[in-house]
Amino acid sequence: MSEPELLIWIRGPALQIATVIFLLGVVVRIFEILVLGRKPNLAEARGSAVAGGLRTVFARSIPDRGTLQRSTFNLVAGYIFHTGIFITLLFFAPHILLFQDTLGLSWPSLPTQVIDATTVVTIIALLAVLVHRVAHRVMRYLSRFQDYLVWLVTILPMVTGYLAFHRIGLTPQHLITIHIASVELLMVVFPFTKLMHAFTLFFARYYNGAMAGYKGVNS
Amino acid sequence: MITNDREFRAVLDGLDARQQRLAAVRFVEDVLPLCTDERINRAMVVAADGGASATALADALKSVKAATIDCHARCGAEGDWDAQAGYFVARAAIAALTPLGQLPGGSAWQAAMSCRMAQTSKSIVSGENSGELESERQYAILSAYMNS
Amino acid sequence: MTASLERGLHAFKEQIDAPVASFFTSCVRCGLCAEACLFFTETGDPSYTPIHKLEPLRRVWKQEYTFWGRLAKAVGLSKPVTDTELAQWETLVYDSCTLCGRCSMVCPVGNDIAYMIRRMREGMAAAGHAPEGLIGATTRAVTIGSPMGVKLPALLAQIGHTEKDIGMKIPVDVAGADYMLLLSSMEIMNFPEFIGAVAKIFSKAGVSWTISSEAFEATNSGIQIGVSEIAAQLVQRIVDAAEKLKVKSVISPECGHAYMAIRWEGPNLIGKPYNFKVVHILELLDDLRKQGRLKTSGKETQRLTYHDPCQIARRGGVVDQPRNLINMVAENFVEMPETGTMNWCCGAGGGVSANERADELRLAAFKRKKKQLDVVRPDALVSACSNCRIQLEDGLEENNMDIPVLSLTETIAEHLVDD
Repeated sequence: MSEPELLIWIRGPALQIATVIFLLGVVVRIFEILVLGRKPNLAEARGSAVAGGLRTVFARSIPDRGTLQRSTFNLVAGYIFHTGIFITLLFFAPHILLFQDTLGLSWPSLPTQVIDATTVVTIIALLAVLVHRVAHRVMRYLSRFQDYLVWLVTILPMVTGYLAFHRIGLTPQHLITIHIASVELLMVVFPFTKLMHAFTLFFARYYNGAMAGYKGVNS
Repeated sequence: MITNDREFRAVLDGLDARQQRLAAVRFVEDVLPLCTDERINRAMVVAADGGASATALADALKSVKAATIDCHARCGAEGDWDAQAGYFVARAAIAALTPLGQLPGGSAWQAAMSCRMAQTSKSIVSGENSGELESERQYAILSAYMNS
Repeated sequence: MTASLERGLHAFKEQIDAPVASFFTSCVRCGLCAEACLFFTETGDPSYTPIHKLEPLRRVWKQEYTFWGRLAKAVGLSKPVTDTELAQWETLVYDSCTLCGRCSMVCPVGNDIAYMIRRMREGMAAAGHAPEGLIGATTRAVTIGSPMGVKLPALLAQIGHTEKDIGMKIPVDVAGADYMLLLSSMEIMNFPEFIGAVAKIFSKAGVSWTISSEAFEATNSGIQIGVSEIAAQLVQRIVDAAEKLKVKSVISPECGHAYMAIRWEGPNLIGKPYNFKVVHILELLDDLRKQGRLKTSGKETQRLTYHDPCQIARRGGVVDQPRNLINMVAENFVEMPETGTMNWCCGAGGGVSANERADELRLAAFKRKKKQLDVVRPDALVSACSNCRIQLEDGLEENNMDIPVLSLTETIAEHLVDD
């Protein structure tokens, strides 16, 4: 396949396939959770489960002081790369154009220098997180193949995006093809891995907060 | 003549730290046979010494605390009321040696209570009601101490 | 596959609900739960990472309730959970976890890990992999009525002794009383002065109460070992007695897991709501305080701090009440550096102290509490759970720390106004 043909395929059919797998996968996995249901609580409530659940969905994003002191690297690096991913994904002008094409929505972008710096910081944070995963006793013990695979498919779009923007190494067309392919890889891997946490953490936090709120505890 | 707990407690409250200790020791000595741990015996000898140094008392307290930990009924284990009697004697010894002000109600009062508990434990095993008599013996013991 | 392994795996499957599935799906292996668990922080052993304690349950979830997991299992590509593995996990699930729930407060994706451990114990017990000490306790609880074998005559003897000492009758089997008090075996055996303290307070406050000779035991060994049928049986005894005596409310004494069992798990275990209320003794005392029925005099001048029993505070919701009560009788009360729902576990609850094999680990875990105490430097330590009390005393003694441990209820009783 020639360069332009490959790019057309990556931007067209491949993206459609990846999107279908992604959406179907996410829906199936969420369905698999919800279909199990949970038994109603017959104990007398002290507080509101719903209020507790919703509260924890947001409040759990703020670590308590002791945890912040004890697990500083984990939390700080984690926040940096998560924020970085969102900023580059949502506020880079070419990405916003893509959203406009597909969803009909549009919003202001951030200057490219900001996006560029964010990308670099995010990549550094992701590298640091990998080192931590390998070097820290608990991380090393807990980690499985999937953790490293997910790390790879997460950093690839950042790196390939940076290379594509700066036109380093290959032709611009090749670089953009590789970048889009890396995103499609992420999308396809997403529903089968812990990346699902992006959606399911809302349920998990809600259940946690609801069970605690029922008893009158803020979790 | 002390005839009830109100009077008993009132007398105890009037005692200073050293006197509470010496009174408490007498209560413990009355139930000492219920406990088989030598550390309690030795500690009570130290505590009975009116001129015992603070260090000696602190050491005695430490050894008695260790003894108490060893003889308490562990959660979920099969309870043994004979052993519990010894546990309560050890607790009485702790109270006797604890500086005044640290235990609500005072050291001597807590010691007296624990001694009574020791007799009650014993009576659970034997089936007799000897626990009741202990408080009356304590009134007599305290009266004797006050008169000495 | 042996019959018992099959029972265990079946129990695992039954225990997996939507929350459990959402938790396993969301875990990103960040390791934050380890830093929240005193068994890890005080030993540095990564196998005590809370989420790791659930590994067999996670695999069952994956193989039974996820598309790819089921597919992999069907084509023989998945790793089945074996009996050996469950045997290996026994110490992780029972020795190194008190169900304290601190991990559940810290997990960034919101996993309630303690909730899952509680459920995993159902499978472990069904598979025959629960600690000996707990099995004995549970058997005694069912056959004798108390995990420590405390029979009615023994309780009556303690009651008799108490009556003599405080000079008032202790109501037993009084129908129509407002409150029915439960007692834990630990209190009856190790801290029977609790009974007298409660009696004095209730007398002064004009509380109508009773103890039931048919159901006086608060401790629920079924919860600790993880056998819901037994836990339900033990709760039903209490329900039957409460209904027979037509009381309005049942009081859970100073024991952490007892409160969790009767207040929060109880109705769900027996499958129907109660027609009486359940309060922790501290809740009742605080209510009396608010109503002006609890009159105390004098204050402790020594520097006091409070240890929150996990099942009462973090997992139970009784957080403010003990503080209100302590402030009534103390002028020098200082909080621990991490307190309330974020306080650290004593290390002995949830069946750990009933398990001799876990002794060394339990005392190592205590070091977390020691570190808190080293910062606060109190003259005395107040708490509201008999098991915490014994563990605290044990740990303090082991570490040569001279700090008396006081019961909150008993301290309140000591300060009651005399008429």
